[in-house]
Amino acid sequence: MHILVVGGGQVGSYLAGLLSTDGHRVTVLEAREAAVQLLHRTAPDALVIVGDGTDPRALEDAGVRTADVVAAVTKSDATNLVITCLARFVFGVGRAVARVNDPHHTWMFSPTMGVDVALNQADVMAHLIAQAVE
Amino acid sequence: MRALILGCGRIGGGLAQRLAVAGHAVTIVDSDPAALAGLPAGFSGRTVVGDVLDRRVLVAAAIEQSDGLAAVTVRDDINLVAARLARLVFHVPRVIARVYSPRAAEIYRRLGIQTVTTTTWGINRIAELLSYAELEPVASLGSDVDVVNADVPALLVGRPVSALTRPGEIHVAAISRGGKTFLPHLGTILEADDLLHLVVLASAADHLAALLRA
Repeated sequence: MHILVVGGGQVGSYLAGLLSTDGHRVTVLEAREAAVQLLHRTAPDALVIVGDGTDPRALEDAGVRTADVVAAVTKSDATNLVITCLARFVFGVGRAVARVNDPHHTWMFSPTMGVDVALNQADVMAHLIAQAVE
Repeated sequence: MRALILGCGRIGGGLAQRLAVAGHAVTIVDSDPAALAGLPAGFSGRTVVGDVLDRRVLVAAAIEQSDGLAAVTVRDDINLVAARLARLVFHVPRVIARVYSPRAAEIYRRLGIQTVTTTTWGINRIAELLSYAELEPVASLGSDVDVVNADVPALLVGRPVSALTRPGEIHVAAISRGGKTFLPHLGTILEADDLLHLVVLASAADHLAALLRA
């Protein structure tokens, strides 16, 4: 599969490394030049493109038109939702997964905003911790 | 109209005050209480402190009853997301998002988001003012007709007066050429360095500016 990961911080670079180890073709779109080094270390097999994921041209440069899945995992919820909207409704990507940073924003991560699967770190962690405590 | 404004920066605050003065029921939301405190003392609208992407905040700001919404925070991504949610989730009839980046306005429109790019507007307006300052208002005849002077634009040199005439809207009343002023007819050929004295319907001023720009 061709997977486009938008956001190459801690989460994005770890995810890109994991996916390329599993044999997927991975491209990472990251806005900050400074994060590129970390990406090359964590995900040496991923193709890294520098650009803003809310800019349709940057998404095209990163190959959004040929991606099977887009994962929007930046630290900004609004940015992630602009990415999923563009990916699903403008570029026709089959599936979009998004990271939720602020639990109060979970309500927006719906098919209306192009999100097929929303992953809420705080929620996932809280449930795991609650399970461990019980 | 019940208007909801998201973001209380210079545009949001100014827009809120303008709509409130015009008699509209205005609610303005910002996460920073200090920004809302900067509204004019007599501001008659309602203010709500909170995250513009928090559903409870939007509902408290009566988004469901709003007739129009302007998403004018400092961040393009927040404005785009808020605008799409306002249209599709809360069914607000009129929604505008301000974006700084002019590159993707067309694509955002395909997502159902009408955008205004203040940067582009500012650039165009300033360029217009810098380029067309030569249009010099001389007198107003009543409130609907103006007399303006303009140097003949280079591209109209050699063309007849009719090229600049719009019956009922724009007439070349007189031309000053070589120290003399005369009344032209439609066939009079414009020459370099002519000073044109035009009579213009006020509503056709933009039209004239466009003709002189050509």
